[in-house]
Amino acid sequence: MGAWNLTGTSAPVQGAAKDALSVTQAVELAAGALDALPQITMLGEVTGFRGPNARSGHCYFQIKDDASAVDCIVWRGVYAKCAFELRDGMQVLLTGGFNLYKPTGRMSFVARSLALAGEGLLRQQVAALAEKLRREGLMDDARKRRIPAFCTRVAVVTSLSGAVIDDVKRTLRRRNPLVELVCVGAKVQGDGAPAELIEGLARAAALVPAPDCILLVRGGGSFEDLMTFNDEELARAVAACPVPVVTGIGHEPDTSICDMVSDRRCSTPTAAAESVAPAITELADLLAAREHRLATATTGMVQAARRDLAMQAQRTRQAISASLAQERRTVEGFARHGCLTSPGYLIERRASELAQTSDRLERAAARSQERVVRAVADLSMRLRAAGPRVTATRPALDLAASRLEAAGDTLLGGRRAALGAQAAKLDALSPLKVLARGYAIAYDAHGVATSARDFAPGDALRVRFGDGEVTGTVTTVEDNG
Amino acid sequence: MAEQKPVSELSYKEASQELERIIRALESGDMELEESLESYTRGVELLRSLRERLADAEQKVSVLMKDVDGNDTLVDAAPADTSDELKL
Repeated sequence: MGAWNLTGTSAPVQGAAKDALSVTQAVELAAGALDALPQITMLGEVTGFRGPNARSGHCYFQIKDDASAVDCIVWRGVYAKCAFELRDGMQVLLTGGFNLYKPTGRMSFVARSLALAGEGLLRQQVAALAEKLRREGLMDDARKRRIPAFCTRVAVVTSLSGAVIDDVKRTLRRRNPLVELVCVGAKVQGDGAPAELIEGLARAAALVPAPDCILLVRGGGSFEDLMTFNDEELARAVAACPVPVVTGIGHEPDTSICDMVSDRRCSTPTAAAESVAPAITELADLLAAREHRLATATTGMVQAARRDLAMQAQRTRQAISASLAQERRTVEGFARHGCLTSPGYLIERRASELAQTSDRLERAAARSQERVVRAVADLSMRLRAAGPRVTATRPALDLAASRLEAAGDTLLGGRRAALGAQAAKLDALSPLKVLARGYAIAYDAHGVATSARDFAPGDALRVRFGDGEVTGTVTTVEDNG
Repeated sequence: MAEQKPVSELSYKEASQELERIIRALESGDMELEESLESYTRGVELLRSLRERLADAEQKVSVLMKDVDGNDTLVDAAPADTSDELKL
């Protein structure tokens, strides 16, 4: 290559230029070389993934390892068939080939298929197992057993050599030393660990007396370390364990299949240990509260009994006094009778009545006498008043008397003469006059007898004469007719 | 009332449950006075026993080991070392 010409005039194209390829030719050459490569499967870590393109649905990202990186394309159709979603940090196996984008000359790896690898693969397998067990119902809340609030006998299934068993012991000694611990050792990672843990669970469950719960615990570790607790057989053993199982595996965000199927999942071994029993201070508080309730309830019972008693006493007193009052009223009623209060009463009452009557009599007599005296005085006064009037009219009276006498004589004179004549005539006609002349009237029992036949011998006979009568009995009857 | 075990023979949990039952029965107010006083006496006894157990509680730890014949057997083990903890 010639020296730079600083004046700006180019040197004439030398012979090499005749052999130069155009960019397009060069790029096509490279593209052809890339196309000639066989299909490649590449393992790497996803980086710079920002999701499928919003418009096209294709995925653009890079795949890298410690030293290299390459652009990567997953077409929409390929990504749709993929069973997982890409994420930064994922280990993936990409199968496909390189492609050169001619307008920019950028080389990309175009994946025709992709699969998870490493931890990503494990996680996918774990997720599939979780889904399978979930479908079987092993994770249903309904089949999770209740852990007693206060487990007094607890089996711990874990490694006896790690720090975890000490953490559990220390936690429970501090929190509640009444919890009895039975440690059951088992490998918690590596080959054979699931089998040992399954056996440990069985041995713990077979303890006599049975523990209230089993703590299945393990300290934190990598995803691969914790894979033991994603073992299907172990998960089934946890679900089937006759004693409730509390898990505390790894740290907070870690969740294993065992956690999902256990009866209670705690985030750490310490949290699991704390969950099986109340703190001793809570127990002390509970006892204090119970002491108070005991005293209150008993005091209440005694007070209620006392109130009942007082009420009954009150009612008894009331009943007795009411009954006595009734009796007293009855007796007092008797006592009020006059005959009892004052025996002389009846006599006194009669005497009093008599005295009153006597008084009335006297007063009436006096009034009567007064009335007579007054009437007499009145009459006497009227008499005296009338006296002069009598004197004044006496001559007129005397005159009237003599006139009356005269008038009477005059009036009577004629009548007396007529009466004398009629009397003489009457006298002449009187049967008595006839009798005086010697005739008599006979009477039978019925009256005047006018016939001898009115009589029979033995009949009573009365005969009237002018101066008297004769009575006798008929001895004979002579009929002259 | 059912025959009673001596308080000392009850586990903490049994004693605690019996105490709760007694209190509930007393609180219900359905008891005869004599019975309630007996219950109260028993309750106080249980309470005292439970308090003592709380005060004197010692952690009990054992390890399930296989003996020479391969049978599981419980072996007493040391309680947790708390010497590094702040004594309250």
